[in-house]
Amino acid sequence: MKFDSIIIGGGLSGLTAGIKLAKAGQKVALVAAGHSTLHFNSGSFDLLGHDEQGNAVANPTEAIAKLSAAHPYKKVADVAKLAGEAKQLLADAGLAVEGDAARNHYRLSPMGVAMPAWLTIGGYLTLDDPASIKYKNVAIVNINGYLDFPVAFVADALEKMGAKVAIKTISTPALEVARRSPSEMRATNIAKVLERDGQLEEAAQAINAVLSGEDAVLLPAVLGIADGNGVALLGNLVKTTVKFVATLPPSVPGVRTETLLRKRFEALGGTYIAGDRVKGGKFKGQHLASIETENLTGAELAADTFVLATGSFMSRGLSANYQRVWETAFNLDVDAAADRASWTSEDVFDAQPYQEFGVKTDDKLRVSLGGKTVDNFYAAGSVLSGHNSLKLADGTGVSMLTALQVANNILND
Amino acid sequence: MSNNVKKHYDVIVIGGGITGAGTARDCAMRGLSVLLVERYDFTYGATGRNHGLLHSGARYAVTDGESAAECIKENMTLRKIARHCVDETEGLFITLPEDDLHYQDTFVEACHKAGINAEAIDPAEARRMEPAVNPTLIGAVKVPDASIDPFRLTTANVVDARLHGADTLTYHEVVELLVEQNRCVGVKLRNNHNGEMSEVHADLTINAAGIWGHLVAKQAGITVNMFPAKGALLIFGHRVNNMVINRCRKPANADILVPDDTVCVIGTTSDRVPFEECDHMKVTPEEVDILMREGEKLAPSLATTRILRAYAGVRPLVASDDDPSGRSISRGIVCLDHESRDGMAGFITITGGKMMTYRMMAEEATDLACKKLGIDKKCETATTPLPGSEPRNDEQYKTYSYAQKAAEGRHGTLTSEIKSGDNEDDALVCECEEVTVGEVKYAINQLHVHNLINLRRRTRVGMGTCQGELCACRAACVLGKESGDTAKSGADLASFINERWKGMQPVAWGDTLNEAQLTATIYQGLCGLNKFVDKKEVEK
Amino acid sequence: MANETQLSSISANNFEQCLKCSICTVYCPVAAVNPKYPGPKQSGPDGARYRLKNPAFFDEALKMCLNCKRCEVACPNDVRIGDIIQKARIDYSTHKPSLRDTMLANTDFVGTMANIVAPVTNFALGLPITKSVLHSVMSIDKHRSFPKYSSTKFETWFKRNALKEQDAFKKHVSYFHGCYVNYNFPKLGQDLVKVMNAVGYGVHLLEKEKCCGVALISNGLIGQAKRQAQLNTDSIRKSVADDKRPVLTTSSTCTFTMRDEYPHLLGVDNADVRDGLTLATRFLFRLVDEGKIKLAFRPDYKLRVAYHTACHMQKMGWAIYSTELLKMIPGVEFTMLESQCCGIAGTYGFKRENYETSQAIGSSLFDNIKRVNPDVVATDCETCKWQIEMSTGYQVMNPISIIADALDVEKTIELNK
Repeated sequence: MKFDSIIIGGGLSGLTAGIKLAKAGQKVALVAAGHSTLHFNSGSFDLLGHDEQGNAVANPTEAIAKLSAAHPYKKVADVAKLAGEAKQLLADAGLAVEGDAARNHYRLSPMGVAMPAWLTIGGYLTLDDPASIKYKNVAIVNINGYLDFPVAFVADALEKMGAKVAIKTISTPALEVARRSPSEMRATNIAKVLERDGQLEEAAQAINAVLSGEDAVLLPAVLGIADGNGVALLGNLVKTTVKFVATLPPSVPGVRTETLLRKRFEALGGTYIAGDRVKGGKFKGQHLASIETENLTGAELAADTFVLATGSFMSRGLSANYQRVWETAFNLDVDAAADRASWTSEDVFDAQPYQEFGVKTDDKLRVSLGGKTVDNFYAAGSVLSGHNSLKLADGTGVSMLTALQVANNILND
Repeated sequence: MSNNVKKHYDVIVIGGGITGAGTARDCAMRGLSVLLVERYDFTYGATGRNHGLLHSGARYAVTDGESAAECIKENMTLRKIARHCVDETEGLFITLPEDDLHYQDTFVEACHKAGINAEAIDPAEARRMEPAVNPTLIGAVKVPDASIDPFRLTTANVVDARLHGADTLTYHEVVELLVEQNRCVGVKLRNNHNGEMSEVHADLTINAAGIWGHLVAKQAGITVNMFPAKGALLIFGHRVNNMVINRCRKPANADILVPDDTVCVIGTTSDRVPFEECDHMKVTPEEVDILMREGEKLAPSLATTRILRAYAGVRPLVASDDDPSGRSISRGIVCLDHESRDGMAGFITITGGKMMTYRMMAEEATDLACKKLGIDKKCETATTPLPGSEPRNDEQYKTYSYAQKAAEGRHGTLTSEIKSGDNEDDALVCECEEVTVGEVKYAINQLHVHNLINLRRRTRVGMGTCQGELCACRAACVLGKESGDTAKSGADLASFINERWKGMQPVAWGDTLNEAQLTATIYQGLCGLNKFVDKKEVEK
Repeated sequence: MANETQLSSISANNFEQCLKCSICTVYCPVAAVNPKYPGPKQSGPDGARYRLKNPAFFDEALKMCLNCKRCEVACPNDVRIGDIIQKARIDYSTHKPSLRDTMLANTDFVGTMANIVAPVTNFALGLPITKSVLHSVMSIDKHRSFPKYSSTKFETWFKRNALKEQDAFKKHVSYFHGCYVNYNFPKLGQDLVKVMNAVGYGVHLLEKEKCCGVALISNGLIGQAKRQAQLNTDSIRKSVADDKRPVLTTSSTCTFTMRDEYPHLLGVDNADVRDGLTLATRFLFRLVDEGKIKLAFRPDYKLRVAYHTACHMQKMGWAIYSTELLKMIPGVEFTMLESQCCGIAGTYGFKRENYETSQAIGSSLFDNIKRVNPDVVATDCETCKWQIEMSTGYQVMNPISIIADALDVEKTIELNK
């Protein structure tokens, strides 16, 4: 099977690159080894939340210019332009997001922490200022028996912002049935229940019944696993403003984002190969000719260009044993400390050096093997070295922008 | 749990490890009024940082016959009185090609002399009994080793002490021994949560503070020479072995592999450490390497098994000579009557020994206490089952849900006190270790739980494969509901996640590193937990 | 220390690689509709640790697992969650299969008996009274129609009508037809012979063939499953290793069972011949892709096809072969259906206690098919065919049959001479 481009990795960066290339008319295949870290997503996307000194960033586009040379954004030609393109790409896939690359807003975390964000999915609570909320009288309504929405933390945070908060719980007969499972009362399963015929109306009724004149109701993000229709419908059915707040995983907005992007990729003619892992490839000199996967044995996947978007350690893009760190599929060159003792810091909340490990790339984001650049093999997203996405709050931005840049590099070559 | 602490007790026991808990139980059972004080949490010290091995005594048979005899006696006793804390795995002592097979004869003979039923078996039989064992073994001896859960054992002793009228205070540190005319008359306590000071008086004070006991004694101007011997251990992700595996040779590094509940533990190293380090144990890369290298020899599959965490404890050995490792120091019990030894009445130190012999240590200390207080009552701790250790009702067990079965392993027959049967209580907080909301509530209300680390020690919340990835937050919510202080629960959660990381960091590669990154992504990237960090936390 | 110590954690079916990320729970078709099923994470890697401690932790609720393996496809860490669950059932279940389960599982025995009296069987199985007896006495759901039994077995047809021509070809393959083709639907086997002969391959039966055993495994008849697995593997080995004939199949489930469940669940080692056992569409696509054969299709053939990815097809990752082949047919208007479980899972959906779960699982697939409104649904799995036909009324065809119908046989023979 011969393609123009093959993307390795089905997360945000892989899908972004795939969509852009397919839209440009390329024949593209994408190999996904399971589902992605979007399943831990908050409903928001970040571009740059903190600078390297740890200060909150007001204007990400400006602050990006001041990042150190190793940061992957330094290989993105026009951050503002690609940020706009990324937002449009999400919208084209059916994911309406709000936000501005020149001005961060704040999202509310499941524990009530206001965290800087670039884009937020429609219907999710956002704040302009981390210390205040425009609603004065808020009801937080949880689903009875749902344990992954720490209501008290959210309530506490909102009260500190000056809102009056009431905590309520609701249920419906179908949700009570789902609740019989000791382990499976998860955000995504609740969302599946609420998608059944008539369930949303019942839930809306239950919500209305516990409201008493609040100007907003906050719900855990347990609605809209397939699309945003339910979110919009509930907004109409409930008698006051409805806003969603992220939950602990699995993430409903994340599943929706991944699903919509995949469908968009397929609709553009892309071939999505699910549940398969790339084992390695055939190199001809400094050129990758084809790759081999667990399922499609026999090196059948050939392409002109390849994109590595396999993520960091937790996505198995990178591996470590007690002696070394390596890139999992091809053993590409990595930026990683040799000595195990320098991979980590003692306090979990300090910057962990391993977070910055990743594959080495040249200024065109091409990877290298044995010290030599592979001329048709690019990398994007969390597999790249040179930044700590937890400290900088730049993970999704790096994923999307480097993917778009890689696609540009491929298309311009 | 509220504590209406009295002004005066017959006995104050210092130290919430197994020795202190056992002593408090014994004293209370003999009708004394008892206060047990612990500066942090029960099992904070060496009790919570060992192998969880119910020694048969075989390990000491050749070098320390007295300890060996004590062990086998207590081994048999604990199987009866602490049924739910013991997993009757049995054990093997294996001889590898690099070891001297002649030692096996010496070993078996010494075991028999100490009263330990040691039986040399065919290596093939050993491989059949324990498929994980190193297949190249040239000799094997079967012994009545088993696995014991120190957290449960301590909790059960505390629960029983309370049932017999004892009062217990955690997070209360003895900052001063109250001495009047060469008599210890009580203690000055600092509440480690809020810094408040208080005084409690007693006729007798028993120092059971383990390796920190010399510091307690020092408050009365008394010198006790301790030998802090650090032992590091590694926890593997699942039960590789179902029998305890030991090396049949003179005790050395990393030669015991114990199946403990859902995991297995290899250990230990043994190195003298400065006293200052006892509160801040770190496992070094060299220790990890030794444990991996030696562990692999016991069970080769350890080389490819996920390591969940590393930890270290300090054995409270009593110094006798210049042994640099402490290996040759007797594990024997040391009970010091400071009245006769140092002219300080009303003060006893119970130390040395080991978890295995805690009950004998408690008995010895309590005998002495009773003698001093003029009480004539026999010790009954060897024959009275601990709460939860009454025989299991097998018919009822069959009807238990998966989570209830897991809880039965932790609380024995007291599982019946855990609420179940409705959706709320049956919901799982910890999915790896099968801990329900009902069990968390039970622990909070009945077992002295102030924070998530306490909860982990009582229930195994956060002790499984993921080390607290989702359950820590769920548990914090249940706990927060009780305390009503969200800021405190947030700080508590942050400190719990950091404590979990502390054990993961020395082994942060492979899936453990992947897991750590995922946990960081959830708690820091998604939740912003770092905003809750309280640098002044009590227990590191 | 060995250089690659701690390279990766090796545990049975990789259960220790589970990061507890809970992604699998999002994609379990059963847990979403049936709260009695503990879900893939609890049943699989979580439970595995406890079962190692004590087999008493085995939960019979694990039988509610469909063995669709969608959890494995979803897992980013290669944990063989479905295998962990099925292996736990094999290792720990004390539940004895009922008469019904034994009957449903023994597809070839029942098939042989049914073939002999096919008209009577088909008539009787269709009667309300029979269905009612099956429902109440045998706990086979009354809503189910049994697949019709053919009066002539495929093997009989083959020996009478095709056998003697096969040796004349230069190249050869063996065909594992499976129970469904043999007893219920010989036409699919005939289509395969037609297509393979047209591209220049002679088709042969295996020396011996038994049911792949998928239903035996799911119904807990493990001893019998192992015996049949060994027999089939030996036959495949003879064909692949001795006769140098690849073994083709037309059922994704049989293929998956023989390639992967044999070694993973039954302990039957097939590593030496696993690559030689392949789905016919994969075999054909690769020959076309490598330029070794050419296909010519009838210009007048027009069909709107919606492809449904059967669970085991999804797990094998081979849907791409079938779909790429179908897309080669000029007259095919192709739609890819969103990949999801249809709910039947072999004999699972036939059981009265599972009927509701089964239909709830499939409902969004059925809605989707109705929305697309194709001429036929294509799928590589026969039990999906029963389920979709019963639940939607749309005709379901195996891609090989569509290719056989669309093929310009004369021209194809000419091109491949």
